[in-house]
Amino acid sequence: MIKVLFLLIPLFLFGNECIKCHPNKMEQCKKSNHFTLKNSINITRKVWGIKNSDVTLQTLPQSKLKIQSLKDLVDDFLRRKCLKCHLTSKTINKTDNLCLACHNSHTNKYDAKKAIPTQAKCLKCHNNNFIGTDYLGLFPHDFDKAYRSPITKDGKYPPRPYGIDFHHLNADIHYELGMSCIDCHKNNKNKKWEENISCKSCHKNLSQQNHKEYHNKLSCNACHSAWSISSYELNVLRDDTPNYKQWSRLKVQEDKYLEKFLKKALKSKQQIKPIMLDWIDEKLKDGIWYSGYRFRRWENFFLVNSDDGKIKIAQPRFQYRISYKNKDGKMILDDVYKQNGSKIEAFLPKEPHTITKQSKSCQMCHENKIMFDKNLIYKGMLKGKVLKGSPLTKEQLDKMQSNRYKLERAKSLF
Amino acid sequence: MKIILTFFIFVSIIFASNKPDNCITCHKDTTPIDNFHPYSEFGCASCHGGNKDALDKQKAHKNMVLNPSRLEHANMFCGKCHKDIINRVDKSIMNDMHGVLDVLRFQFHETKTIQKTQGIKDLKNIPTNKQSLAEDHFSKLCAACHINQDEKIFKNSSYTPRGGGCVDCHRVEDVKKLGVKNNKLKLKHPKLSTKIPSKNCLKCHNRSNRIGLSYFGKFESEGYGTPYKNGKLTNKIDKGRYYYELPADIHHTSAKLDCIDCHTEVGVMGDGKHHAHMEDAVDISCKDCHDAKFKDASKFGLSAMLSAVNGSVSFAQKVAITSKKQTPLYNLQKNGEKIEFFRKIDGKKFDITKMSDKEYHKSKNHQRLDCTACHSSWIPSCYGCHEVYLKNGKQYDWIKHKATKGKWMELRSYLRYESPALAVGYNEKIMPTAPGCQVITSIYDKDVTNDGFHSFAYAAWDPHTTQKQSRSCDDCHFNPMSLGLGEGILDMKKDKIVFQPFYQSQKSGMPISYPIDALVSKEGKQFQSFSRQKARGFNQKEVKKIVEVYKCIVCHNTWDDKIYKDFKTSKKMFYDKKTSCSKEILND
Repeated sequence: MIKVLFLLIPLFLFGNECIKCHPNKMEQCKKSNHFTLKNSINITRKVWGIKNSDVTLQTLPQSKLKIQSLKDLVDDFLRRKCLKCHLTSKTINKTDNLCLACHNSHTNKYDAKKAIPTQAKCLKCHNNNFIGTDYLGLFPHDFDKAYRSPITKDGKYPPRPYGIDFHHLNADIHYELGMSCIDCHKNNKNKKWEENISCKSCHKNLSQQNHKEYHNKLSCNACHSAWSISSYELNVLRDDTPNYKQWSRLKVQEDKYLEKFLKKALKSKQQIKPIMLDWIDEKLKDGIWYSGYRFRRWENFFLVNSDDGKIKIAQPRFQYRISYKNKDGKMILDDVYKQNGSKIEAFLPKEPHTITKQSKSCQMCHENKIMFDKNLIYKGMLKGKVLKGSPLTKEQLDKMQSNRYKLERAKSLF
Repeated sequence: MKIILTFFIFVSIIFASNKPDNCITCHKDTTPIDNFHPYSEFGCASCHGGNKDALDKQKAHKNMVLNPSRLEHANMFCGKCHKDIINRVDKSIMNDMHGVLDVLRFQFHETKTIQKTQGIKDLKNIPTNKQSLAEDHFSKLCAACHINQDEKIFKNSSYTPRGGGCVDCHRVEDVKKLGVKNNKLKLKHPKLSTKIPSKNCLKCHNRSNRIGLSYFGKFESEGYGTPYKNGKLTNKIDKGRYYYELPADIHHTSAKLDCIDCHTEVGVMGDGKHHAHMEDAVDISCKDCHDAKFKDASKFGLSAMLSAVNGSVSFAQKVAITSKKQTPLYNLQKNGEKIEFFRKIDGKKFDITKMSDKEYHKSKNHQRLDCTACHSSWIPSCYGCHEVYLKNGKQYDWIKHKATKGKWMELRSYLRYESPALAVGYNEKIMPTAPGCQVITSIYDKDVTNDGFHSFAYAAWDPHTTQKQSRSCDDCHFNPMSLGLGEGILDMKKDKIVFQPFYQSQKSGMPISYPIDALVSKEGKQFQSFSRQKARGFNQKEVKKIVEVYKCIVCHNTWDDKIYKDFKTSKKMFYDKKTSCSKEILND
């Protein structure tokens, strides 16, 4: 017992204990996107109208007190709604040791295996909408309290990991076979971890039959992922007034702080001041951020050109509709969804981690009703900008429906 | 004009003996009801009872009925002239909702087949503790909507008042007190009309299969209440229910037709028979208008009467008749060679699109399709209805009009509206379907929790989301959702259908071994049931046959393609390698 305590002491007292043996790692980590969260931050700022945004979690400005435009509001949105997960966040890592956000502690080189990041560690952050829980086949439920279903056999509400109810869809085949995140996303000294991985590094011998030349530009994932998460119209509202009643059925917004706050505020006879955490400096600040979607789907997808030269699946995620109500109850921004004449939306090329053995069938892309804008219900809905890529060109779309496709497809069916 | 006159003479003869009522001494300036019930002819007492000769309020109001249109009074008052209608309404589903209760009993495994009951009438006298689960569910969650509901119970509630008998539908303006002048109460009498606005229908028809919402392009949403406007949730239907907009029915978007423009008097108020289901009661079908048969109107007194009462649609010698119950559609007329359709609410004239006789409608292969199978663009689908029953809770009983023991809560899995699944419907034709209902129950008794039962079913209905443009060929022939297999990856490899479903029901906590959105397996195994005898999902042969056509659709994806003129011969030619494409495709 004493021995265990002795071993733990250095970790809690001296956050940089790890550096003694891994002197370069801290530098490497501080450059990583995991630490700076540059991508998410700058994409969001760009979508909300800030040109040439280049800030990091560490240099992100404080929320503005006087808000008049989307640009004034975006940093507050990031700080208090989005950036809940970061390596230095108390909710993710209760210690002062940065490394322990992802790694478990170990004491010597013989038990180094202990320090390998577990899937559970990754999922603490990667648990909603982006890549992560989709690998396990999980898809979030809607917010309304009617979706806390089905009741378990012992008569309780279903378990809610990460504060989210989940549907189970089919999981990634690599997960089914017992692989965890780190089995593919390995550490490699020469490359950034993000660039480290490709399907081909393991799957070297591809059958010629289905991997024809004309599909060369496709990412493996475009065909082999089964489903992906699409979120249509993310409505966000910052309300600085104590107006809680309308949220009584919508207390669960995938945000544990908000859930607890609303429960308390709705029960209390006294009026409770609307305050919410700033996830970066961990201070309570005025106003509550609420959110809701138009709807979310797992079955729809469309393809785009990614900047790395591949054709990938695009996920509708950033179709914003933004409102801000100030302390005096005045609407500074009321359901703003257009800026300079175009919609505040963007799509990102993605690689959903929902690989199944059976790849998508040809018509799912070649006769995709959303891509060819033929579906009455989705007509014109997905015409936004593509970040880190571009929409498929007319030539590409025509090719997809060419006679050559038809002939090849017919051959495969008969 | 002649008809109206005859009608008035007829009325005058009946009421000729009536002296003017003394009621008007006090209620002098009461506003008129409509053109057909003038106070000068009817007085007040012929409808409201009471003592018309008395001048004293108490004596005059003795045995008076405030709302004579409630069905328990209607026979005595309205029934003097409209006896036939009241008898029909009394047996209709809108009155006692027996169809709902009968299906519910069947779905809750309380009866082995659907057994006809008297619905609400039966339950009135059964004490709560003697009620079965289905009956209790019905009383607490369904019975709010019926035309003879007591309107007063909706006071201080966020729900629209329903019920009141005939006036539930026929009242177009509510009763109002306009104030007291010289001790005389001035009343605004409810305005009655046969031009029933759709909002009256929507008071009830906004739930269950949500026809009333869908027709107007509203889809009951996941409950987000988005977009936020003025800092508030928007697009509210009622308490905790929200919608978003989807393409509305073409009859609404192109002509602003109301429910009554299609639904006939007999279809709505009943034909005197005690039908088991709504579809047996409904009179109208698409073809009655779009491929109309006309008859001499003089054969139906009803047609003349209805256009006279309507006032905006004039009488015509030749009117269309419904194919099912042979009743007149007095607003679809043949004047000379011209076929004209009139909107009932204002008499506006429309040309009607005749169903084309193109290949896609004539083909033998599509004869089993109901119009709705191709022309419905979406269907509100609610997956997983989790019924939680708290035996010791208390909840308002819509029949007994008080809170009684037992409380229900409804939870759900998710909503969709895209690509309606197709199946063989109640009429043995292929129709769009959606879950209806996928019941999982949890029953709580004191502190013991029990595993309830589960019962997964689909239902077919006309979703009222009609579009001129039909679904595309491949949307039915090679879409796993449309085939009833559920969402997933469908492919065909060397004549073998392969399918990888997405939804994992068991892992999601459901007590079923198949995907929640799978009506059938690709081998035609029926996973989920229907509450109609003849309805079912596609069988193996049908699934295979439908998918088989997709092989040709890949290239020949329009109906005017010549291979569909005689598909059987075309196929034979293809396999005999006598077509240009077959050599290339089959040789491989």
